[in-house]
Amino acid sequence: MATIDSQRLDMPAPPPRGSDKHPLFWKNRGHAHHYRSAAEEFDACKLGMWLFLATEILLFAGIFCAYTVFRSLYPEAWAAGSHHLDWRFGAMNTIVLLFSSWTAASAVRSAQLGKRGALIGNLVITIICAAAFIFIKLKFEYFVKLGLGKAPGTWFSYPYAEHPQEPLWWSIYYMGTGLHALHVIIGACLLGWVLFRTVRYNAYGPTHYTMVETSALYWHLVDIIWIFLFPLLYLIH
Amino acid sequence: MTTVDSIHDHVHHGAHHEEGSYLTPRGGFWSTIWSWATTVDHKKIGVMYLFAVMFMFFLGGMAAIAVRLELLEPVRVVQENLADGTTVTHITGQLFAPAGAESIDAGNQIYNRLFTLHGAIMVFMFIVPSVPASLGNFFLPLMLGAKDVAFPRVNLLSWYIYTTGSIFGIISIIMGGVDTGWTFYTPYSTNTDADHWRVFFMVLAAFVLGFSSILTGLNFVVTTHKLRAPGMGWFDMPLFVWAIYATSIIQVLATPVIGITLLLLLFERLFHIGIFDPGLGGDPVLFQHFFWFYSHPVVYVMILPGMGIISELLAVHARKHIFGYRAIAFSSLGIAAVSFLVWGHHMFTAMGELSSTIFSALTFLVAIPTAIKVFNWIATLYKGSIAINTPMLYALAFLFLFSIGGLTGLPLATLSTDLHLHDSYFVVAHFHYVMMGGTVIAMIGGIHHWWPKMFGKMYNEKVGILGCVLVFVGFNVTFFTQFFLGTQGMPRRYASYVDEFHTLHMISTFGSWIILAGFLTHFFNFVHSLVAGPKAPPNPWGGLTLEWETESPPIEHNFHHEVLVTHGPYDYESVVPPHCDEKDFPLPEGAAS
Amino acid sequence: MTTPSAPPVMNQAQDAVTQAADAAQGAVDAAANAVPPVPPVHPYLDRGGLIHGLFFRNEGHTDTIITTDAMFMLIFWFSAFFFVLLMVLMVYWTIKYRRRPGVAPPRSSAHNTPLEVFWTVVPSSSMLVMFFLGFWGYMNKVVPVGGAMELNVKAQKWDWTITYPDGTQSGQLVELGGRNNIKINVLPEDTDVKLRMSSIDVIHAFWLPDYRTKMDVFPNRYTGYGFHTPKLGPGDDHPEGRYRDHWVFCAEYCGDLHSEMAAIIRIMSREDYEKWLKGQGSTGDPVLDGKKVWQTKCATCHTTDGKDNIGPTWLNMYGEPVEFTDGTSLVVDENYIRESILNPSAKIVKGKQNQMTSFQGNITDEEIENVIAFMKSISEAGKTEGGAETPAEGGEGAPAEGADHEGGEGG
Ligand code: HEA
Ligand code: HEA
Ligand code: CUA
Ligand SMILES: [Cu+2]
Repeated sequence: MATIDSQRLDMPAPPPRGSDKHPLFWKNRGHAHHYRSAAEEFDACKLGMWLFLATEILLFAGIFCAYTVFRSLYPEAWAAGSHHLDWRFGAMNTIVLLFSSWTAASAVRSAQLGKRGALIGNLVITIICAAAFIFIKLKFEYFVKLGLGKAPGTWFSYPYAEHPQEPLWWSIYYMGTGLHALHVIIGACLLGWVLFRTVRYNAYGPTHYTMVETSALYWHLVDIIWIFLFPLLYLIH
Repeated sequence: MTTVDSIHDHVHHGAHHEEGSYLTPRGGFWSTIWSWATTVDHKKIGVMYLFAVMFMFFLGGMAAIAVRLELLEPVRVVQENLADGTTVTHITGQLFAPAGAESIDAGNQIYNRLFTLHGAIMVFMFIVPSVPASLGNFFLPLMLGAKDVAFPRVNLLSWYIYTTGSIFGIISIIMGGVDTGWTFYTPYSTNTDADHWRVFFMVLAAFVLGFSSILTGLNFVVTTHKLRAPGMGWFDMPLFVWAIYATSIIQVLATPVIGITLLLLLFERLFHIGIFDPGLGGDPVLFQHFFWFYSHPVVYVMILPGMGIISELLAVHARKHIFGYRAIAFSSLGIAAVSFLVWGHHMFTAMGELSSTIFSALTFLVAIPTAIKVFNWIATLYKGSIAINTPMLYALAFLFLFSIGGLTGLPLATLSTDLHLHDSYFVVAHFHYVMMGGTVIAMIGGIHHWWPKMFGKMYNEKVGILGCVLVFVGFNVTFFTQFFLGTQGMPRRYASYVDEFHTLHMISTFGSWIILAGFLTHFFNFVHSLVAGPKAPPNPWGGLTLEWETESPPIEHNFHHEVLVTHGPYDYESVVPPHCDEKDFPLPEGAAS
Repeated sequence: MTTPSAPPVMNQAQDAVTQAADAAQGAVDAAANAVPPVPPVHPYLDRGGLIHGLFFRNEGHTDTIITTDAMFMLIFWFSAFFFVLLMVLMVYWTIKYRRRPGVAPPRSSAHNTPLEVFWTVVPSSSMLVMFFLGFWGYMNKVVPVGGAMELNVKAQKWDWTITYPDGTQSGQLVELGGRNNIKINVLPEDTDVKLRMSSIDVIHAFWLPDYRTKMDVFPNRYTGYGFHTPKLGPGDDHPEGRYRDHWVFCAEYCGDLHSEMAAIIRIMSREDYEKWLKGQGSTGDPVLDGKKVWQTKCATCHTTDGKDNIGPTWLNMYGEPVEFTDGTSLVVDENYIRESILNPSAKIVKGKQNQMTSFQGNITDEEIENVIAFMKSISEAGKTEGGAETPAEGGEGAPAEGADHEGGEGG
């Protein structure tokens, strides 16, 4: 981005936002000075994102590990706990996320083809899906369950527990889905940022769509993690 | 090495030919500060890291001196007969107990906080970022012939995350410190101290520092993949780069696990979610598995960059092609790979027989690539042209100390002996020999080696050698005794001990003062060099790696021209080093120059 | 109940001849008992020699111990060989090939495949050997022997409570080198012992340095290992009797008094042991029994002579007012004592911290009543209330002269 900086210094009055003279307009984007070409920069960013996704998967691996250990220690508690989850809400959220993954991919495609309208539309739908996911999670799952006392660890006060280790199940449930929900929010923010730059500066097009691509990659990760959480939590009766 | 004119058009970069060193102040005092605080230049970030980690080393070192001072005396009860015949009890040796506190636990509580702070500062705030974030940041792009790391702004972000994490740690210390040990073992760490916030801040600090570590590692991996200068294949990379590359892979793959572990620990601590709490059906050993799954690989995060430095120091100061280049490069990757499989060796006393056996076997695997490296280094000295200066002496000291440290890892990896040695001073001695005798020694050697390049000033060689000798001697006096303490039965993390161990502990404490004197010598040498040192030439040692190509200190964009690599990093037999005279660096008979 | 005035004798230089004979005897006995099916590693390098003596304070009296030491010494000599070889080469070449101004270095090759293969294979195969030998020794240690005497070890911040097979617990205390009230547990000589350990709060580890073994002690879980006690020899005669002492240290960090969490295993002849065991049983007198409960369960943190410690002293506590951290106060009575034992965090005495773990499930009602009787007996108010008239000479009796023998020299 050093080119932008130097251009800012060079040019006293930047052209209006959104005009095709603005340095953030996709056709005007060069590449950072320490890369030899824009393609190289794009490759580097993508590699970086993939590495970052690997770290995210390893982060969740901790939760999955704890899940596996306790499930093998207390299978009954896990079965009992899973009974308290309604698979329909889980399935609904799965569909929401899968659909949004598709729109995220379409957003990248639109950017590559230079279709600004489709890009904006796809991003908006994806973000709405994220909101829907969080809404379903909170309204129909978290609030209801917490209201009944199905809370993690020492906060557990549900009177009809079938197994002494059920609080542990809820700990794993809330840690896993909570951490995932946090990632949904972060992903939505990233996509929101992309949307903002598209609307404001028309910043992405066939020769420059790094940010769209990497945000979409992140969004797919969020989706994939849910694909693992859903059966492990909801479907193990 | 040749450089060709940049294929870039010079419209935007035209100013580069006249640009000054990266250290040249821009504008007034405040704008210089501002330009450092917002810089995306890997060199400035590296220098900021260097000062930050050295400050942390100083803090951790002071805690260590206090720890040793407390251990100067075993605690004992002195009984005096007063005039009326009653006995009065005094507790001696509890140096840091608050005035007037007679009870035995007051002193112990302070001691327990001291060694926890020492360990936590040294590990999380000093040694993990130490070499990669400071010297690595500075020299990785230079050695690759690149203008910067792949993501300069992520680099700056990582620096600020590091600062934030360290501030959390310091807040915790100011609030009174924690007494969990640097390993935060549950269930102790989840219910010690009524005051949640100290433990919270210390764990949070480690958690936040992890992100900094991930971002740095990620940046370096991508840089190594994408930003090598034209003509530099994987096997033309200097071994320091190989080492940093392997380190970064470990950082990227292991750190997230400590992230989730510490997150769970925080929740456990604050909300008692029970995952590690045996009372609620949780499993404290699960915490140990999680913790060591990160913390074992991280010991190679500590040592691999040190090994990389040693490869450079030996080659440059012995003017020799490093022996077995590929073996050293691949063994770095081998260590990185195997390091993920051996974490259980910290828990032989906590696991069942089967898992202990498997982990013991795997642990021995990791000693093999390390042994290969050591053999290659020693062989590099054969028929060299060896300069005796501070960096070289540090490299030799590293070989001496790290070999002891690594070899004492063997009885720890052996099941029958580890049941005796686990959590004794033998372990303490082992890990100081590898961490302090390995990484820290390599780092101080590296700082001397690259000091002229980084700051454009020479340091005083005689004072440097004096410091090196003091550190070396003091180190051995301090920690060799601890091997005997450990085998004889002295457990670690003991604020007081039985009298039988007094002599050895006393010697150890004296040694720590010699180390302190050594580091102070270095410190004043560096300060003197910055203030009044002679100007450094671009290539004082006759090095062949790319950083010696540019000026000392390097210009803002590293190289005047686009770099094209035409020779290997260690071709001392055929190439006269850049900026050097063949008279001073003669080539062997028949070399094509 | 007597308390020894002498420090535990361990690691004192013993007559080398008798010790060797002793150890040999131990090895023979161990073989006779068919303890481990695995022979010790031979040759035992440097057994009892200078280097071994630097590392270990005694030679070990059973096969398991000898195997461990032999393993250690084997690794030591292996390491020393490579270390010395490499360092000699390093120093020699550094001097021989030091830089001479203007002189070009001789040409030399940058790698040598056969050599590199050689120095990969040699460490690899030695690692394999090391692993297997270590595994053997380990199995010897952790697989318990049939028919061993089983001790139940309860760990708690910061005390070890060892229960003998007949339910007895040791109440013999000694104060040593600043360590409060260390418990002495007597074991008969030449016996197989098995530990069954668990903790009631955090993780501890039971380390017997003289037996070269330790194991972590967890809450809610049993761990353990076995060992064989030595046969006493002539070197074990002391003015107070015939015994040999071994330290127990806590080797897993467990908080403030981690370093004070020690105990002593005292080996005595079988008759002495039986006599001692009888002396630890109930006396029928609530005050004496209460004192015994104090010694086994409370003495790490509470003194009876007015000294300060982790918890408040019991001297003159009963019947006197106490203030709490929350500003309230009351006069110590039976109910308060009972509550403090079962739910210690309910009221914290001013100036103290919430450190005590609940004894719920680890103390009987009868024991609580005995403790109350004992507390009354050492308090002015309690005595005038008409309690027992037992002398309140203040607990642990004869003060230790401290284990003041200096030095780190091995035996
Ligand atoms: C820089 C850090 C570092 C490094 C590099 C190492 C390297 C090794 N470590 Fe160490 N270790 C620590 C840091 C490190 N360790 C720390 C911090 C702890 C304690 C943590 C805590 O509890 O607080 C610890 C604890 C520790 C334990 C647990 C002890 C216990 O608590 O019971 C074990 C057990 O196996 C172990 C083994 C090893 C081994 C086998 C190596 C091997 O990689 C060593 C390989 C090196 C050599 C073998 C020497 C060089 C080679 C030669 C001289 C050639 C000749 C050699 C042969 C022919 C074999 N270490
Ligand atoms: C990088 C890691 C590192 C380093 C370098 C050190 C260095 C030292 N350590 Fe540390 N230590 C640990 C990591 C480290 N330690 C860890 C992880 C533990 C375990 C903690 C736990 O159990 O939880 C431990 C535990 C530990 C113990 C055991 C405590 C116990 O179990 O009870 C002891 C006891 O002697 C000790 C001593 C020392 C000493 C004397 C030094 C000395 O070498 C220190 C010398 C340094 C100085 C004196 C600083 C001087 C610096 C300057 C003056 C600035 C100079 C500036 C420039 C050169 C530019 N350490
Ligand atoms: Cu109990 Cu340490
Ligand atoms: Cu390890």
